[in-house]
Amino acid sequence: MTVATAALAIETTARSRQLSIRQTIAMAKRSTYEIARQPALIAPSMFFPIFFAVLSSSSFSRTTSIPGFPKVESFMQFTLASTIVQGVLFGSVTGAAALATDIEIGFFDRLLLAPTTRTGILLGRLAGSALFGFFQSAFFLAVLVPFHAPITAGIPGALVMVLSGGIVSLAIGAIMSSVAIRTGSAEAVQGAFPLLFVLLFFSSAFFPRETMSGAYKRIADINPISYLVEGLRALVLEGFTFSAVVRSLLVPTLICLAAILFALKELRRKLAAL
Amino acid sequence: MNTFASSSSDPIVAQNLVRYFGDVKAVDGINITVKTGEIFGFLGPNGAGKSTAVRMLTTLLRPTSGTATVAGFDVAKHPDEVRRRIGVALQDAAIDPLMTGTELLRLQAVLYGIPQAQMKNRASELLERVGLTAAADRRVGTYSGGMRRRLDLALALIHQPTVLFLDEPTTGLDPMSRMSLWEEVRRLNNEGTTVMLTTQYLEEADQLADRIAIIDAGKIVREGKPQDLKAGVGFPTLLITVPSDQTERAKAVLATFGDMRPTAEGSLGVGLRGGANVVTDVVRKLDEASVRVQHLEINEPSLDDVFAEATGHRLEGAKA
Repeated sequence: MTVATAALAIETTARSRQLSIRQTIAMAKRSTYEIARQPALIAPSMFFPIFFAVLSSSSFSRTTSIPGFPKVESFMQFTLASTIVQGVLFGSVTGAAALATDIEIGFFDRLLLAPTTRTGILLGRLAGSALFGFFQSAFFLAVLVPFHAPITAGIPGALVMVLSGGIVSLAIGAIMSSVAIRTGSAEAVQGAFPLLFVLLFFSSAFFPRETMSGAYKRIADINPISYLVEGLRALVLEGFTFSAVVRSLLVPTLICLAAILFALKELRRKLAAL
Repeated sequence: MNTFASSSSDPIVAQNLVRYFGDVKAVDGINITVKTGEIFGFLGPNGAGKSTAVRMLTTLLRPTSGTATVAGFDVAKHPDEVRRRIGVALQDAAIDPLMTGTELLRLQAVLYGIPQAQMKNRASELLERVGLTAAADRRVGTYSGGMRRRLDLALALIHQPTVLFLDEPTTGLDPMSRMSLWEEVRRLNNEGTTVMLTTQYLEEADQLADRIAIIDAGKIVREGKPQDLKAGVGFPTLLITVPSDQTERAKAVLATFGDMRPTAEGSLGVGLRGGANVVTDVVRKLDEASVRVQHLEINEPSLDDVFAEATGHRLEGAKA
């Protein structure tokens, strides 16, 4: 290979990488538009968690004095982290269902017909979910913090929580996208959602693990959602400590990476089977 | 009008293309050569294998066996090179209803690597070309079926492809929208685009295609220019309707005038060896056999006759 052809190869690779990034951004933009243009679809994921937070705060306010319950200003403060996780669980299903709809209506084929990065098709869709996750997290904090739910870690802690919410959204979006890619059915994605909801209830989202016992505690101990919620909760209750920041970001990031790798594997499997 | 010089680099060449879905052989060893500048019609009923063949030629499906080159590149070995050179409007115009026409065209432009500076002009040009400028900023969900098809065509043209695949582009359209799409396809073809068109409409194939291939049960059963294929059928078809209890007597009479041809249920057809001149003789013989003719018509050979002759059945509900 001559110097000139090597330089041309490097330039071509750089151009192709640049184009892949441009394509992924364009698909992320589309995914965001879609979410924003379906208010009826996203409203439940915005308001149901708020409603649930208000309801549980008024119903369980006295549980904060149970032995093993952490020191909190109110049950609302305790439930702030679980509201974010609950909201992004709801929200990220919307993005995955949209991917399944793309497959159902043939729009996915249109994307495959173009000389695009296959990874970008998925990552663009997930980026839209992550952006929505950031937005949801910020919305929940803005609405709930004034109601006796202060974040001990302050504004930096709130920013980390928003970031973490986005990553959780990305992780759940990737898991649900795997279902979308495998089944190609929006109904199957929606049908898988109750499983996530069951996982949420069998976690430490609504009560600390220290107050649990028996099978419920054993499930919560191995339930990844417990660790997602507890990472965020550490920022609310403990403050802006190294441990709290790492816990709130590390667990979702690890789950996210595993979920994205799995979703990409599913995509490759689907494309190989064509 | 195009002239088709034989070339070693024909834009679409398929050789022994086979595709299985499980145990089902959807495409059974088809061979196609489409010449530069040609409109090639791929005609067949639902489930004949048209769309599967097109999906293989457009890189959406891998052939189980056989080879195909499109725009000079092997579809299995160099799919991205093929994708850069072809435009595809798939069946059902799969378009995101939440986006506007302009947004979709710009997304498509990015997917094909069209520089930002050219994107806006190209999108406007295409919207104007397909008559959607006024609806450009409306969400596609509000478009009529015809508007969606036209947008689909514009999307397929964003990167100025040399080969265009149209998979049943007019299915479900009203006659006006169908005619307008035909006009656009002719215009594109006159500008030099090679077009492969799949259709289940005989009239569409007859009107648009320079050459057609008829596919049935995954196999190509006839191929050629529509006029040659029709001439090959030879005699006109005499169609009659008689009371059901007189069918056998009528068949016996008709068989003396030519070979019986497949028809829609309830009528009988015969390829008249003596042409239209012998119709009066047929009627007289039927009368002598006490057959009461309820309806009679004589049709010049059509693509439906070609299809019927090749497959033993007619295209459902279609007439050329």
